[in-house]
Amino acid sequence: MVLVLALGDLHIPHRAPDLPAKFKSMLVPGKIQHVICTGNLCAKEVHDYLKTVCPDLHITRGEYDEEPRYPETKTLTIGQFKLGVCHGHQVIPWGDLDSLAMLQRQLDVDILVTGHTHQFTAYKHEAGVVINPGSATGAFSSITYDVNPSFVLMDIDGLRVVVYVYELIDGEVKVDKIDFKKTTTATA
Amino acid sequence: MVKKRVPDWLNSSVWSSPQPPPSPPSKEPVKSTASPIVEPPLPPEPPRTSSSHATGAAKGGIRDPLSSNYGSNSSICHSDEENRSSSANSTVSAGGVQSAHPAAEEISRQVQLLQELSRKVINMGELRRLASQGIPGAAGIRATVWKLLLGYLPPDRSLWPSELAKKRSQYKHFREELLMNPSEITRRLEKSSTENNELDGSPGFLTRSEVTHGEHPLSLGKNSIWNQFFQDSEIVQQIDRDVKRTHPDIHFFSGDSTFAISNQEALRNILIVFAKLNPGIKYVQGMNEILAPLFYVFKNDPDEENSASAEADTFFCFVELLSGFRDNFVQQLDNSVVGIRSTLTRLSQLLKEHDEELWRHLEITTKVNPQFYAFRWITLLLTQEFNFTDSLFIWDALLSDPDGPQETLLRICCAMLIIVRKRLLAGDFTSNLKLLQHYPSTNISHLLYVADKLRIPLAG
Repeated sequence: MVLVLALGDLHIPHRAPDLPAKFKSMLVPGKIQHVICTGNLCAKEVHDYLKTVCPDLHITRGEYDEEPRYPETKTLTIGQFKLGVCHGHQVIPWGDLDSLAMLQRQLDVDILVTGHTHQFTAYKHEAGVVINPGSATGAFSSITYDVNPSFVLMDIDGLRVVVYVYELIDGEVKVDKIDFKKTTTATA
Repeated sequence: MVKKRVPDWLNSSVWSSPQPPPSPPSKEPVKSTASPIVEPPLPPEPPRTSSSHATGAAKGGIRDPLSSNYGSNSSICHSDEENRSSSANSTVSAGGVQSAHPAAEEISRQVQLLQELSRKVINMGELRRLASQGIPGAAGIRATVWKLLLGYLPPDRSLWPSELAKKRSQYKHFREELLMNPSEITRRLEKSSTENNELDGSPGFLTRSEVTHGEHPLSLGKNSIWNQFFQDSEIVQQIDRDVKRTHPDIHFFSGDSTFAISNQEALRNILIVFAKLNPGIKYVQGMNEILAPLFYVFKNDPDEENSASAEADTFFCFVELLSGFRDNFVQQLDNSVVGIRSTLTRLSQLLKEHDEELWRHLEITTKVNPQFYAFRWITLLLTQEFNFTDSLFIWDALLSDPDGPQETLLRICCAMLIIVRKRLLAGDFTSNLKLLQHYPSTNISHLLYVADKLRIPLAG
């Protein structure tokens, strides 16, 4: 039972001052084992804050990040699943599912976490699953101004993943879940 | 009436424990109480004191005479099983062997115990009397005797299989229910749900579904299983730490062998189930120390089936044992009438009644309050003061005494003080505290004998 937090595109301080208070009150340290961040934090303080939520932080570089040393892509293995992280501005057209599928095959991962579109999506195709946690602060994107703050929490338990989607709609936190499982085990 | 002088019976050389022999540091709990003691000139009760010989020196001798003696006595036992002439029988055998080998005393006690246990309905009073003298060597009896004394097994033998089966399955349910993590719980609750997406390769958006009852991992709701899980995780971590630290010198409990790890696992499960079933008291440090001897004895039961179900049996006996001592662990009750402070005051009173000179010296002259040394004695039931085997003997007396474990414990603590009175009277605060916090190893039968003597109300 491993809890993995996936979020990104906060754009603090340029486009948003902070995470919504209701999100912050839920992100209590000690519950989450890993944090995956797609990028565009942008300030160092956000990095430090995320480290307090969980010390195991994986982050990739978004185009507005102030820290130049984050990698472009990252892969990690949690339990039976291989996860890949990439901000997504590198993949053109932005948010195109087929192009993202190409990136996923390139990284050879079961679950690809990307951002940049500031819209939550969860899509599956032959190579695996693509999850976009959206923008955790609801910052406007190059594509649209109408953004609901959202992030994703994955509960990885053996071959099964339950994805909890947290969205802030009209000031209330709405939680949905998505359940999927892998049919074969990962080869060593 | 104020007694200035120590009563004569207390002043005889019998009460002071001789310089203890250096106890050999051993990994396996070996009986090491072999200090020779002067045969007391006025034994008030018949064979009890001579048993002090039996434990140490003649250990090797016990094995061989045991089989032959038991063999010869058992035939007599079986014929007299139903009637109560067994007491006459045992005195005959005891009288016959008393003049012979000192170990025979212990053997005859073992025989009596085995005989008592083999009856159809066990006489609890008789069992208590026999057990209070110490349950000898063969660990097989100790497990069963303790289970009887703690009320886990009923005195009627025929009810044993059904009772055991019932309790063991009950524990199994507790375990399954309480040790599940929230992921498994949600999975079981939603077995019927059809929203499961299979990664079978067909492209498309993954279907979203509503979260039931607002149950998600970051939920802060009081009734959320996730929230409760995270709150309990603190206690679980504490239990983990304490279990790893239990008895690091004994192979049974610590080390890297799979046996030790599985034993630690069992201790951990019992403590977690107990903490979850008792939200009022949950887990307090020290409960692992009280659990350890119980589990050790039950796991080492020669009967295979009992040994395999040791975890379940230990859980219920632990609950029973702790029920008398719960109040010691509740912090809010510390200062109340039932709390640990008042128990310490009672110990003080007891000492004052029996040995005023020592009491005065300890509490008034050197200001050594009972809470400095007796806190650990009382809350941990003396498991930390003596080596493991000795504490098993003390627990024999504690559990079997009809007065109840609390009263007996106080008497034994008082006896511990009286036995080292010469050194205490000669010492100041520092040396007394040092002596009492690192209590010297002593002859356990002697200690129990003194404790028993304290039961007699003082004559004026």
